[in-house]
Amino acid sequence: MKNSDGQLYTIEGLAAALVMLLTAYFVINATSVYTAGDTHITDMQLEALGTDALRVMDANESRLTGSPLRNIISNVTFTDNQTFGTMFGNLINSRTGAAADHIQYSASYSYRDLGDNSMKSMFINASRNLSGGEHAVRATKWVIANVKGDGLPGDSSYIPGFSPPQNRSVLVEVLLWRD
Amino acid sequence: MTDDTGALSIDFLVGFTIFLLAFIWVASMIPGIMVGLQSYTIDYDAVAYRTGVILVEDPGWPVSPPWESFSDFQKSNMTRFGLAVSKDTPNILSQDKVNRFFCTTFVYPDDYHTRAIFGDYPYGFNISLKDAAGEYQSVGSITPLGYGTIRRIVKIKGPSNATIGTGNYAKYPSFYNKTENVTTHVFSFLIDNPRLLDDVKNPAYQIDPAREQLTINVTDLRATITDYPTAVPPIENMTSTIELVNVRVYKKEGALYSNVPLPASEYPFVNGSSTRVTSMPVPHTDNVTIKLTPYYFDLMKAQNCQIYLALGFNVTPPSTFLNNTQALPDFNNLDAKLTFENVNTTPFNYNYEVENVTQPHLRDAVLEVAVWSGGG
Amino acid sequence: MAGLNDDAQWIVLMGFLVSFSFFFLALVINQSTVVGQTTAESVIEFPKNDIRDTREIMIRSWDLGNYNTVNYNTVKEDIKIISKSRKNAVVKFDDRIWGNDMHFHYPLYYNNGVTEYYENWTSL
Repeated sequence: MKNSDGQLYTIEGLAAALVMLLTAYFVINATSVYTAGDTHITDMQLEALGTDALRVMDANESRLTGSPLRNIISNVTFTDNQTFGTMFGNLINSRTGAAADHIQYSASYSYRDLGDNSMKSMFINASRNLSGGEHAVRATKWVIANVKGDGLPGDSSYIPGFSPPQNRSVLVEVLLWRD
Repeated sequence: MTDDTGALSIDFLVGFTIFLLAFIWVASMIPGIMVGLQSYTIDYDAVAYRTGVILVEDPGWPVSPPWESFSDFQKSNMTRFGLAVSKDTPNILSQDKVNRFFCTTFVYPDDYHTRAIFGDYPYGFNISLKDAAGEYQSVGSITPLGYGTIRRIVKIKGPSNATIGTGNYAKYPSFYNKTENVTTHVFSFLIDNPRLLDDVKNPAYQIDPAREQLTINVTDLRATITDYPTAVPPIENMTSTIELVNVRVYKKEGALYSNVPLPASEYPFVNGSSTRVTSMPVPHTDNVTIKLTPYYFDLMKAQNCQIYLALGFNVTPPSTFLNNTQALPDFNNLDAKLTFENVNTTPFNYNYEVENVTQPHLRDAVLEVAVWSGGG
Repeated sequence: MAGLNDDAQWIVLMGFLVSFSFFFLALVINQSTVVGQTTAESVIEFPKNDIRDTREIMIRSWDLGNYNTVNYNTVKEDIKIISKSRKNAVVKFDDRIWGNDMHFHYPLYYNNGVTEYYENWTSL
């Protein structure tokens, strides 16, 4: 006499195993997508770092000296661009431990064209060119920089369209990312 | 007739084994799911961020007198550690607060946990600071694998100081060498608190004796003795004996002067020693360093008063010496009004003159906070 | 199949139980990631640094604007227009007022659509 009772436990055990494994598969798939919290945290850290660096660069060393950031913006020449790069790069990559960090940045400033009130942007310095694939965060700092009429030609050329040279408010913007 | 009792038990064993294997496999996956989002990336980073903000953007509590001025016995008065110079100057840290924060007399982790980390959970943490000169300070234990962190870029406001030496004496002899050959000489300073607080309003560059330590070095004392080898006895600056008799402090409130006792914890440093003298007079003095702590200024409530400091010296044999104060010979019973409101008294003014006083200077530094699961 | 007995169904039941508990566990884990996301997002989205920076530049604009009314107006206009286009924030920025209390007053206003900030700043 044939009896199928013999296979019942095996079949039900297989079914239970299948159900559990499928659930585990779905659950793992579903949760591993949610890594957004992590990237937000690194964004937050980068932004704090960039804002700090700009703020520190805008602070005078003593009552008698000017703000380095303001000086750089006041006359953006090639050397000043490099000064910005060195200062900013050192600040954001410095750590209390021995090894320095590797954060990339690209800095520019926005200003208003007095002619048609449109926004113009002036490149300052970058540690690496943005290729578009980076996940970058932005840090900004207001600077009132002068083109304080020292009468030299070309004084106002970096913010075209206004004369006589005078103080202008510009927004320094830095994109930061890790690669 | 077949007996199927045996077959059933084999069937049960196979089915239950398959179930158990699957269960064990699935259960072993649970930690795997957790690894991807271990809580340090969430909670520890947020706690580190909070601690970073408290330390870098907040002056701590209480503000006046500042928390860093309390001694270890008064620790209960410190509510919150904050290193910023003021709440309007984020990222600019006070040197005195930094020194107090990293001093070794605090208990790790309890003292820090309740005042900088907060929360009921026993976090482990490490807070470190390195300035541009490479000076490294830290508190906490070694960071394990997997911790939350934040890095803040800051400036540290160094204290002001003044050094009086041959340079000053040569440049303005009439301000520093006023008398003829006498034994008792008095050299005085003026710390004009109302002016100091009014002339520069930005706390980042202000000299505020009630917030930051103030240092005055008086050096090259022997150079102020004019040699007179033919006198009897002969005067030679290398052999003269210079005795620091006392340091007297006067507070001017309105038009009234009052003598403020100088506690032993504020006694001067003499001859380059790294510890304060324990008693005065000091028989052999070549140079004097006065370091006044903010606590002292808080104690005598001097924020709105002028403070006069008078250093009394005895020189043998009688000779010229560092002297800018016309005082009665009895130094220990100085009449402040007669002494300081006197055309012949020109106290050294501790102020914003770059020539006299090294102004507060900001230097770059980086602060890192690491937080992890503590308790072990 | 009438002859089948259902003695073995408890194994399937246990399988279901384990699966359900797994799902609930997944729900809890998902919540925790959301917590991390909102913590970091609120730090990024609350424009603390923007407000602080804008406030500071507004207060200092007179001094930095060369103490000159024409220049000051240019700087003011710069701040308003750049704020709007680069930060999507409306900044209202009135002339400073010399009050009866012998101090300057600046009414400052900042709004980026989510966060609004108003302050009547008084000079020292």
